[in-house]
Amino acid sequence: MGDIKELKQVEQYANQCMKCGFCSFFCPVYQEERVETSVARGKNYLAKLIIKGEQGFTPEMAEIIGKCLLCKRCAANCPAKTQIDRVVVAARADMVREKGLGFIKGFVFRKAMANRSAMGRYARLMQTFQWLLPKTAGNVRHLPDFIKSMGRRNFPELSRTFLRDRVKSVYSPSGKPQMKVGFFMGCAIDFVYPDLGFKIIDFLVRRGVEVVVPKEQNCCGAAVYFSGDFETGRRLAEANIKAFHDVDYIVSACGTCSSTLKDYQKYLPDNDDMQKRYSAFGEKVKDATEFVIDVLKVDPSTLKLKREFEGKTVTWHDPCHLVRYQNIKDQPRAILKGFKGITYAEMPNADLCCGMGGSFSVYHYDLTKKIAAKKMDGIRATGADIVVTACPGCMINLIDNILHNGMPQKVHHLLELAE
Amino acid sequence: MIKESLIAEFEKIMGKENVLTSKEALRAYSYDGTTNWVREPDVVVFPTTASEVAAVVKIANAERIPVTPRGGGTNLSGGSVPWLGGIVLCMTKMDKILKIDKENLSATVEPGVVLQDLTLRLAKEGLFFPPDPQSFLGATMGGIISENAGGPACVKYGVTKQYVLGIEVVLASGDIVSLGGRTLKNVVGYDLLHIFISAEGTLGVITKAELKLNPIPPAKKTIVVVYDDVAKAGEGVFRVLENGVVPDKIELIDNWVINRIEEMMPIGLPKEADAVLLFEADGVPEAVEKEAEKIVEITKKYGATDVKIAKDADEANKYWLARKAGFAAVFGKAKTVLAEDVTVPRGRIPDLIRKCKELAKKYDVEVTVLGHAGDGNLHPSILTDVGNKEHYARAMKAMDGIIEGAVELGGVLSGEHGIGLEKQKFFNKVTDPVVVDMMKGVKALLDPGNIMNPGKIWN
Repeated sequence: MGDIKELKQVEQYANQCMKCGFCSFFCPVYQEERVETSVARGKNYLAKLIIKGEQGFTPEMAEIIGKCLLCKRCAANCPAKTQIDRVVVAARADMVREKGLGFIKGFVFRKAMANRSAMGRYARLMQTFQWLLPKTAGNVRHLPDFIKSMGRRNFPELSRTFLRDRVKSVYSPSGKPQMKVGFFMGCAIDFVYPDLGFKIIDFLVRRGVEVVVPKEQNCCGAAVYFSGDFETGRRLAEANIKAFHDVDYIVSACGTCSSTLKDYQKYLPDNDDMQKRYSAFGEKVKDATEFVIDVLKVDPSTLKLKREFEGKTVTWHDPCHLVRYQNIKDQPRAILKGFKGITYAEMPNADLCCGMGGSFSVYHYDLTKKIAAKKMDGIRATGADIVVTACPGCMINLIDNILHNGMPQKVHHLLELAE
Repeated sequence: MIKESLIAEFEKIMGKENVLTSKEALRAYSYDGTTNWVREPDVVVFPTTASEVAAVVKIANAERIPVTPRGGGTNLSGGSVPWLGGIVLCMTKMDKILKIDKENLSATVEPGVVLQDLTLRLAKEGLFFPPDPQSFLGATMGGIISENAGGPACVKYGVTKQYVLGIEVVLASGDIVSLGGRTLKNVVGYDLLHIFISAEGTLGVITKAELKLNPIPPAKKTIVVVYDDVAKAGEGVFRVLENGVVPDKIELIDNWVINRIEEMMPIGLPKEADAVLLFEADGVPEAVEKEAEKIVEITKKYGATDVKIAKDADEANKYWLARKAGFAAVFGKAKTVLAEDVTVPRGRIPDLIRKCKELAKKYDVEVTVLGHAGDGNLHPSILTDVGNKEHYARAMKAMDGIIEGAVELGGVLSGEHGIGLEKQKFFNKVTDPVVVDMMKGVKALLDPGNIMNPGKIWN
């Protein structure tokens, strides 16, 4: 049996499970499949067998460990507080070290790509973006994933120019800045929503913040280290820590990015020095929604609504990486309720995962659609015109599924609503 | 091992995706909610109709292959562990609520419906299914009926068998029969329906059930009662009832559990209290108001040191959440927990608690007590470590003592978890041999090939 360094580290969490099975009620994947290998209890049991040396990294095991959204609903509702997400990520990391990234991805990928038309769209996209790859391949290893996922979706059009090409490196407020914030772009804002990036920079600068946008910043690493590639994850972590070494805060408008940057210290440290540096870095990271309310202490009632949203009914979708990874749920709602001119309607299943799960949706697109269908029911029940969230990953998936279901809602990032 | 040709037949019946044979899948179906009972099946199948169930059972019967029906796998008896290998018949994909009949206050469900899903659906109609096993987030109706499950609300509402009007069952022969019906009253010959309730899947496979429902009571109130002696808390239970108040729940939490709860999620339970009783009264608002006052009065009269009525639903929920966390608190503090569900007549609760304390001292082990005091169903739990042979042996002796003690007090071995594998070694000891023979006779009649969940209940 191979080296199981990472699983050993989280053995205590695996052992906390008392097999009550309550996680089955909260697991979006189990809710669709109704099979024990889908749910936290089953995955945890098998992980324990790996630790004991009784179970190997078989192709079946790769599929089981891969088929998890990491939405953390199981962990959030576990009476024994088992952090099963940590166990799943550790199992992936050990598997990647033993078998290589292609093993875990490749096995499932062959199934996912059986669809010829999807394959064609994928190839076309790859062609379109070939020019991009040599430039970023070394830095952004998950970019092919990102593009693969687009090949099969109703995807918002990619921006003609990316944020990285247009953004300045320093934005100063008039007057003495009250603090210096590093803006972390993240892939989606960089490639798809560059205007949102400018908007947030402007929002912060107008409130007396000096914003720097280091060119050396990299991908946050979520798709990389959650897939088990810790080695690349560490490289990205080091690059980002270096890029943002001289700021008071690092702010991201992507829930996944902000949580990923905060959590380097949880998943990636290999020694005490790393642990110390990653923790110190993580403490400076704030999600934009959290930063506006908790740090800038903006009074939501002073926020001015952008004209086009006046009279609309708006609902909020909790991204997993905000509500469960960062416990951010009140701040975005406070902002939304502060806007005058919109009606806020709470979604009945606001904190249910949208089904995206990063590269999960690349490999299990049919499951993603089924899980998203439940989200769509929640959205319909609110009668909202607009679905607001704060994670571009969720936005992409929500747009895709709203279109699939022939629904009228538009999807926006929370801060797009502000004038 | 099962022949390849049979696997192919199963695939023909249910489709490839509903027949699992990978080592990993078999391992994921080797356990239930207990700690120590693990055995892998040879195949896991997921039927979606009663006729698919019948087809599988027919083949199994002809080939003499063990069939273990399984739902959510949350049971605490080893009952859904495929102890002799063979087929796990997993009912989780038969998960439709077929009908809710408001006029008749009943619902028709498939066996794989999860209780919480049913509860949420019924709530929209203002109805509820009263039995409330605390595994409701994962437990499925087929299992709940097969184990005759109960929970806190049993004080007032009773257990599952009082809420099943009829079932559709696949027998070992492959015949599909309906027992009971849709009416509240039914005396047409032997009451065979109730032989299948609490049979733990040893007589047949439930493929449909007609459930009796109640309207949701419009008001609820929670009362927290503090005691400086856990045995006095035990007395408080029957004093309230004998004085004419029937709360829907009376739960007991002892000092050890109170302190673990306060460590996990401080909600202001008195840490020095030897025990706390949580009462819930439900019904029409005026009656609930009066009952709450009466509970305060009676418990004070019989030795409570402090009594408090929760001021609103939020405060009440806090206490019930704490009670729910109680088990997690216990399980989180030891490598192995021997959790029992002995049940005694209500008046003997103080005696049982004293017995638990005595045994804890005698064998030098931690015994915590929490449970559904209202119906005499306590869950004394012994904290131990199966890896520490010497300690575990003492824990087992204490457990034997608790069970013997409960039986001496006129109680039973299991109130709601069932016998399965976990309590087999006590079953023969406490059950009249003639009665055991009767049970075996019923089993032989309905399942002559002994294929239905074999190896359970008796040795």
